[in-house]
Amino acid sequence: MKARLELRFETSRGKTRLRLGSQEPPWRVIRAFPLADGGALVHLHNVSGGVLAGDTLSLDVHVAPGARAQITTTGASRLYRHRPGLADSEQQVTICVEEGGLVEYLPDPVIPFAGSRHAQRTSIRLAERAALFAWETIAPGRQAMGEQFAFESLRLRTRIESAQCPLILEDFCLEPETAPPDSPARLGGYTHMTSFYAIQVGRSATDLLQLERQLGEIAIRESRPGCTIWGASALAADGIIVRGLSTTASNVPATLAGFWKAARRFLTGEEAVPPRKLK
Amino acid sequence: MLLELLQLADSALPVGGASHSFGLEALVEEGILEPHNLTAFLCDYLAEAGRMEAAFVRAARRGGCPEVLSAELGARRPARESREASLKIGRRFAGLFQALTGVCLSPELYYPVAFGAAGGALAIPEEPLAQAYLQQSVTGLVSACQRLMPLGQVAAGRLIWNLRPAILGAVSKSEGLECPCFTPLPELASMRHAWMETRLFIS
Repeated sequence: MKARLELRFETSRGKTRLRLGSQEPPWRVIRAFPLADGGALVHLHNVSGGVLAGDTLSLDVHVAPGARAQITTTGASRLYRHRPGLADSEQQVTICVEEGGLVEYLPDPVIPFAGSRHAQRTSIRLAERAALFAWETIAPGRQAMGEQFAFESLRLRTRIESAQCPLILEDFCLEPETAPPDSPARLGGYTHMTSFYAIQVGRSATDLLQLERQLGEIAIRESRPGCTIWGASALAADGIIVRGLSTTASNVPATLAGFWKAARRFLTGEEAVPPRKLK
Repeated sequence: MLLELLQLADSALPVGGASHSFGLEALVEEGILEPHNLTAFLCDYLAEAGRMEAAFVRAARRGGCPEVLSAELGARRPARESREASLKIGRRFAGLFQALTGVCLSPELYYPVAFGAAGGALAIPEEPLAQAYLQQSVTGLVSACQRLMPLGQVAAGRLIWNLRPAILGAVSKSEGLECPCFTPLPELASMRHAWMETRLFIS
């Protein structure tokens, strides 16, 4: 199935409004909910319950100057088993944030089922003073079903850039059969990986080092080597990355929300407004 | 050409490489990296990060814009300490290269890009250049490990010798810049390195 979802966030009298463009199943967005800071919250539904073999899903988000969008999902992204004769499943996320806009892209974890083959490409372009808070958690499979790194391949490409330069370029290729994830050069004994990006175009290197210090303190405080470890680092320009590795999914969400809240406060001077499920 | 390559790829070249562990110190401190898994670690590290760096050496050797390549490589290295280490080494390498050859390289290039651009200036063939880069890079990592764990000189020499297929394999798959690289644990170790109470290495 080939499906596209287009979300445009625009401002009107100080409030952000959602204008839905193309909306093809299995994508489904019911409505936007107003946030206390004038932003708009959108829940992404996948009515088929996950990404099926052969699916090509694309999500295009445009955030107008000064608009504020928070995008989350109604559940984990389940990547279903590959079917012979069908192409690998694909998902493409493109986000463009205009000058002074803000986007928070906070999806639930990605869970690659046994036998799945999936490629994901995320491209985010930020204009001057635009801000981004985004996270992603990758699970090793359906652990309750006894699956762990039983998928065939998972390719995750992320490109975040400003008008001046690339800020983050990540290209992960996980093929557990040929490249063991438990190598100490990859995940070691950890099974879940989380990335969090907090970026505001135009921030000074001094600001970024200060934010790195703040988030680094949280990282050290919340780390339990052998169970969950966190680290924070200033990017070459404009932002911060936080990375976490864990042996269990349950340790991740609360700490991740803590990083988000601290970074949001630092970069925008405002409190984060958590979507449902986060405390 | 061989002599030039041997000198530029000598791990003892005075560019400051011996001061950096690129996160290995934190991996050893946390008990993740030990003598018994060092070979496997370096093989996998070469297959991921080594392959990616080799791709940038080769792209710079082919004449790609060094500043653009450097910006791309900087975005592919999320851990600040390791990224800055590569920039510092690249800067000292560029200075030394100019002193030796009179050829001017930008001082703002990450090491693989500076190395590739130097290879281009000397018309050193692309694949041997990338192989030599990875060989000196892995020799530097093993040297760091000798200071961090019980690893004798013969064992270290044998380890580097046995990594030849991994080096050749990494270079053979590094033709384009679309190289995946999945090394979250070493990257995280590099991020956590700054918080260690006692440190032998800058990174």
